[in-house]
Amino acid sequence: MFDLEEAIKKWRRSLRKNEALEDGYREELESHLRDKIDHLKAQGFSDEKAFAEAVKKIGDRDLIGEEYFKADTKKLTGRPPWKKGLLPTALIPNYFKTAFRKIKRQKIFSFINIVGLAVGLACCAVIILYVVNELTYDTFYKDKDRIFRVNAYQVNEVGEFYMATTPGPLGPMLKDTFPQVEEATRVVPPYENPDSVLVVQKDKRFFETHVFFVDNAAFRIFYMPFLKGSPEHALTRPHTVVLAESTAKKYFGDEDPIGGILQIEVDYDIGIERVELQDYEVTGVIEDAPMNTHFKYDMLLSMPTFLANRQDFDTEWVNPHTKYTYIKLQPDTDPSSFKEKMVLASQEVTRQFEERFGSSLKVNFDLQPIGRIHMSSYVRREMEAPGNWYYVTIYSMVAFLILLIGCMNFVNLSAALSATRTREVGLRKVIGAQRKQLIGQFLGESSLITFVAFILSLVLMNVLLCPFNRMAGTELSIAGLTRPLVFVPLIALLVLVALGSGAYPAFILTAFRPADVLQGRLAQKLRGTGVQKVLVVGQFAISVFLVICTMTVFKQLNFMRGQALGFDINQKLILRVKSNLDHLRLDYEAIKRDFVSNPYVTGATVSSSVPGDHDESGYYMTTREEDFSDTMRLKVNTVDYDFIPEYGIKMIAGRSFEKENRSDINEAFVINRAGLIELGIPTPEEAIGKRYQAHYHRMWKTIVGVTENFHYRGMQEAVEPLLLDIETSLMDNITLSVSTENMNVLMRGVRATWEEHFPGVPIVYSFLDENFDRVYRYESQMGRMLGITTTLGLIIACLGLFGLAYFVANFKRKEIGIRKVLGASHWDIVSLLSKRFAGLVLVSVFVAGPLAWYAMTRWLQAFAYRVDLGWFVFAAAAVGALVIAMATVSIQGMKAASLDPANSIRNE
Amino acid sequence: MISKTMVAASTKPVILSILARGEMYGYQIIQHVTELSGGTLEWSEGMLYPVLHRMEKDGLIQSKWRISDNGRKRKYYHLTVQGREELEKDRKEWMRVNKLLNRLWSPLSLPD
Repeated sequence: MFDLEEAIKKWRRSLRKNEALEDGYREELESHLRDKIDHLKAQGFSDEKAFAEAVKKIGDRDLIGEEYFKADTKKLTGRPPWKKGLLPTALIPNYFKTAFRKIKRQKIFSFINIVGLAVGLACCAVIILYVVNELTYDTFYKDKDRIFRVNAYQVNEVGEFYMATTPGPLGPMLKDTFPQVEEATRVVPPYENPDSVLVVQKDKRFFETHVFFVDNAAFRIFYMPFLKGSPEHALTRPHTVVLAESTAKKYFGDEDPIGGILQIEVDYDIGIERVELQDYEVTGVIEDAPMNTHFKYDMLLSMPTFLANRQDFDTEWVNPHTKYTYIKLQPDTDPSSFKEKMVLASQEVTRQFEERFGSSLKVNFDLQPIGRIHMSSYVRREMEAPGNWYYVTIYSMVAFLILLIGCMNFVNLSAALSATRTREVGLRKVIGAQRKQLIGQFLGESSLITFVAFILSLVLMNVLLCPFNRMAGTELSIAGLTRPLVFVPLIALLVLVALGSGAYPAFILTAFRPADVLQGRLAQKLRGTGVQKVLVVGQFAISVFLVICTMTVFKQLNFMRGQALGFDINQKLILRVKSNLDHLRLDYEAIKRDFVSNPYVTGATVSSSVPGDHDESGYYMTTREEDFSDTMRLKVNTVDYDFIPEYGIKMIAGRSFEKENRSDINEAFVINRAGLIELGIPTPEEAIGKRYQAHYHRMWKTIVGVTENFHYRGMQEAVEPLLLDIETSLMDNITLSVSTENMNVLMRGVRATWEEHFPGVPIVYSFLDENFDRVYRYESQMGRMLGITTTLGLIIACLGLFGLAYFVANFKRKEIGIRKVLGASHWDIVSLLSKRFAGLVLVSVFVAGPLAWYAMTRWLQAFAYRVDLGWFVFAAAAVGALVIAMATVSIQGMKAASLDPANSIRNE
Repeated sequence: MISKTMVAASTKPVILSILARGEMYGYQIIQHVTELSGGTLEWSEGMLYPVLHRMEKDGLIQSKWRISDNGRKRKYYHLTVQGREELEKDRKEWMRVNKLLNRLWSPLSLPD
């Protein structure tokens, strides 16, 4: 049933929605409505119809309201506030104006907010750059979905391996046999000296690292835009070379390199052959390889050159030479079904292997999309060390934590300040501000602060990038910010920070009723809210967590560095022989003699690797004649007679190699203690005289001695079984035992001897202890990274605490004044302020402790030799955090305590 | 029907003229207008009130709340001295316009 009175009541209430319709106006309109209804009813309308008609006649509420507003307002435009103006953002300049005023008025808080956020943002931006760089490896190819590297899965009698390398004839065969293969190229680094190819142009001599032989098809597979020359025939002739832009500049300056000649010394194959400088004609210049590709090239040499020196390369399916095969499939070819077709090639490998060695080798070829090589590597012999998800994740998390501390500062200080700002909000509301305008104002403030912080973070980023690049071995630059993949998340982050930091005052503070606020009922309620406490605990928990992690990482590092390694690491100078290797291998005794004639050189030895090198070579050993089904694997280091005494390695049984025993060079080897276990020999003494055959060269050798374990690969891993063997054909390092009292004389002498034996070859040397430290590079990288960020995090957290203490001290000025009048000492005042914060910091220690313990226990598990976490680290972190926090608070406390109470009480 | 602009222009003189007949409340004014115009001049009724409000602010009319016999609250409007002067002025202006239009529309002056 239609209730007229109810309907009128509802209608009357609906009028209130228009703020221009004041009480009197509404009453008059209602009176009118009732008259009209009476009138209509008299004409025979029903209640319902009369009401509807009367309402319709009176017309639109907002139009009436607007007319009233125009009559009442002094505003020139006469535009009522509920109507949208021409510029929907008309208030935004005002928000920024008030925000700017706030920043100016509260210098300390603004400074803390801006610096905190800027540091957090800078860390995050650097990490975003890093992560994007890692994740976008090889994704810039237009048809990256069609480009694959062919990997090989090999099974033979000694084990199974996934290899990035494949036989030389595979590429051409795939291209010739399968129409699905659009292009194929081989990429072949020089055999013996892939990281140090000597290149000479007139008086310029350098070692080059990224040199490869490629088929001309490489230009049609990879993205290699030509700056000079043309891709059609650049590498189709022997002895031609295409240079990357910066390499061309290095050798030819501003001259046109096309047609120029470079002398390049490349090793084509295993074995002692004369490697010599050969002339190459420059036929093209291409853009430098991008930073984020696993295939980094400075020089590309033509495949016909390689084939001319290695005739068997096109037919040899089983040579262990390192070479890669890349193919590009036709559009719309399904890679997984294509994989199965490659079985043809697998059979060829097996056939040839059996023919040659009489044993079986099974190979399956697999396609790996080029974009997955860096982050999802599963094969051996990668071109460069693949990306590490573990560190990408850790770094991202740490950067995020730092930003979180910065944001917490902002929210925290805003929350604290909000107690003083309730009046402002209340007054604004009374004057007529709507809630959404106030929200706009607060968000405007946080946006402005975030923006200023962002500008500052750009400056900070420039400072941070340099050490970061050195640490992570990257070449990130601030220019990377313009990449959409970087700036989209960064902008999103900025918006998130601005919204997140401004949300508390924006939404909580503006929700109160102005009457409560103005009567001061709210100020009490807001002070010391839980939010504040939670945030302070959160900040310090993060800081303490990071402190504990940093300390543990450094503790582990120091432990590893301080452990007895089992060999002499000091005063050893390593010379890397990269060229003229056959001279070293044939005449090493003479070369050593010449070096030792220097008074500062006390000894010399030659070996295939030195401790700290990441050398994966190993022998598979057996005691049977032709059966390798039951083999034992030992890592191998080929050395000369002097290696064991020069390195001070302790023998626990038998003897070291002896020059007097002429047969040692062919028949003897020495193993370490771990090798005993691998070979299943119970005591060192029993090992002496045991004979084994090595899979590598099929020679029978006898164990003549056993050494104590020495940590040739660092302390992360347990010492692996190792075999020392005299095998001159693999040697390329000279170790000199030196005395460093007079570095100048020493180095002058060493250089002179070097020049005598290796004329024209640049000398590459390092000290063993520095070299060895590289085995800890991930750990020390992480340690430094954590060290920097932890310091930054602690500073930001302390800044926040400082701000809070400042605020509390101000807030309690009167209380402090009265306490002083009543006889409180400085100490009483300081402890009054410190107590509440001390409690919070302690709570945060208890929050962070278990988390850090869990994280670090897991991290340490990866190490074979590790420190105990120990209570000391936790206690130190707790005490440290407490001391730093209290020092920060006490500064404020002292200041507050030294104020003249007369002033603070009289005030107001 | 009379066009919107004409209604807007005539509102003030119409109200002033009606109130010259005596004190009235809003609904009465509307009824008078409807009757006298024979239904040709129709106002969106609610829009009358902001106009009255403005005229009162301008000092042309004055209002007073009264309780009517049936207990309903009504706001009565009456002319002020200034309102009467304004009415006189408006009347002269409208007459002048009226005269002009009359001349223009008389058959003699119609162009061939």
